[in-house]
Amino acid sequence: MSLDGFTPWLQSLSDRIEGMVVTRTDLQQRRTRIDLPADHLTLLLEAAKGELGFVHLSAISCVDWIEEGAFELVYHLWSYEQNQLLSIHIRIPRDPGRYQSVVDLYRPAGFFERDIHEMFGLYFEGALDMDKFILTEWNGPPPMRKDFDSEAFVEETFGWQAYNPPWLQALTSAGGGVVTPPSEQRFSQRGEVARAPWSGSPRQPFQDDGEKG
Amino acid sequence: MARVFDELTRFCQARSLFILHYCTGCGAIELPPVMTSRFDMERLGVSPMVTPRQADVLLVTGYVSIKTLKRVMLTYEQMGSPRYVIGICSCTVNGGMYWQSYATAKKLDEYLPVDLYIAGCMPRPEAVISGIRTLMQRIESGEADSWKEYYHNYDYYLGNQQKLFGPQWQTPVDVIGEAEQYGLLGPATRGTHTELLEQIQVPLQPLEMRL
Repeated sequence: MSLDGFTPWLQSLSDRIEGMVVTRTDLQQRRTRIDLPADHLTLLLEAAKGELGFVHLSAISCVDWIEEGAFELVYHLWSYEQNQLLSIHIRIPRDPGRYQSVVDLYRPAGFFERDIHEMFGLYFEGALDMDKFILTEWNGPPPMRKDFDSEAFVEETFGWQAYNPPWLQALTSAGGGVVTPPSEQRFSQRGEVARAPWSGSPRQPFQDDGEKG
Repeated sequence: MARVFDELTRFCQARSLFILHYCTGCGAIELPPVMTSRFDMERLGVSPMVTPRQADVLLVTGYVSIKTLKRVMLTYEQMGSPRYVIGICSCTVNGGMYWQSYATAKKLDEYLPVDLYIAGCMPRPEAVISGIRTLMQRIESGEADSWKEYYHNYDYYLGNQQKLFGPQWQTPVDVIGEAEQYGLLGPATRGTHTELLEQIQVPLQPLEMRL
């Protein structure tokens, strides 16, 4: 299929697959973001690989949206024929945190899934290997989850202590210095409604922000 | 007469330091300019060495993850005494920019005695040279004897290592035996942690040789 075939293919795809939201911007012509219900992922991957030559799965990334109780998985696909990057975003519930492996479609997914399993505790059914990967000397919880309190872990394991001498306390109590208490910074230490500091308004779960490319 | 020879020995030691080629973290990138023609550490009698058994100085050039720290400990215990440790970069001092990381050890001197820290992120080659010169002065004046600390306070260091690596931790080197051999036993050499070590210690097996 020629270069021009990509846009019609996307059109035909959204007819075939329900709930698919395609986001493209003029700025980034070669990047396409697709938001998708988690059930239809294999359908889309098969179509992309078989019909348009998206043979290269360059990474699977994982985002922990703790406030919305969801893990976001992003499959980055590249086509050497189209010179196009597809980012396929799906969300799965954080609990129980299980999803299907795509290793039968893309062999390198085995590494990515094993890594995500180690760092986020997400389990992939049908994956090649869910053993320890990089954190060989690690017995704690998956460290990249937002509810893992890295600071408390460091304080307990390494005896780390915050440096807060009297002169600094005097400064901060007078309103000087940079005062950002940990309770406002860390996801794990926040109380009720926690929100990412960079987002102005609460995010809608799934199918939102059209401007992200 | 003995003092004269001691001084002569220290004088010679300070002028032929061999630095182990072992680099952790990012500070190692400042070592090539230190070694090569611009800053030329060989003019001070300092040169790189390939094996721990032949080296005098262990440079820890940056953050040490728990995995790396195991290797650092194995390397350090293999080095012959007197041995010196220089911690380069702020990560070895207090964790540096990785202060919050679950994966890196924060204070290097909890796990092995450190002679000298060179702070900075990263220190320039001038700072490294200046640090090495300070170490040379300290060796010459006989102050740099922190390697004895490791024997004197072995229980403390072993306890911190066990905390990270688990109670099954053991190295091929019999540190207490060495301390007895060289008369470096102190009141804090043995303790609760070394008792634990002696309980689980497995004697070293020769490697199986096979063609």
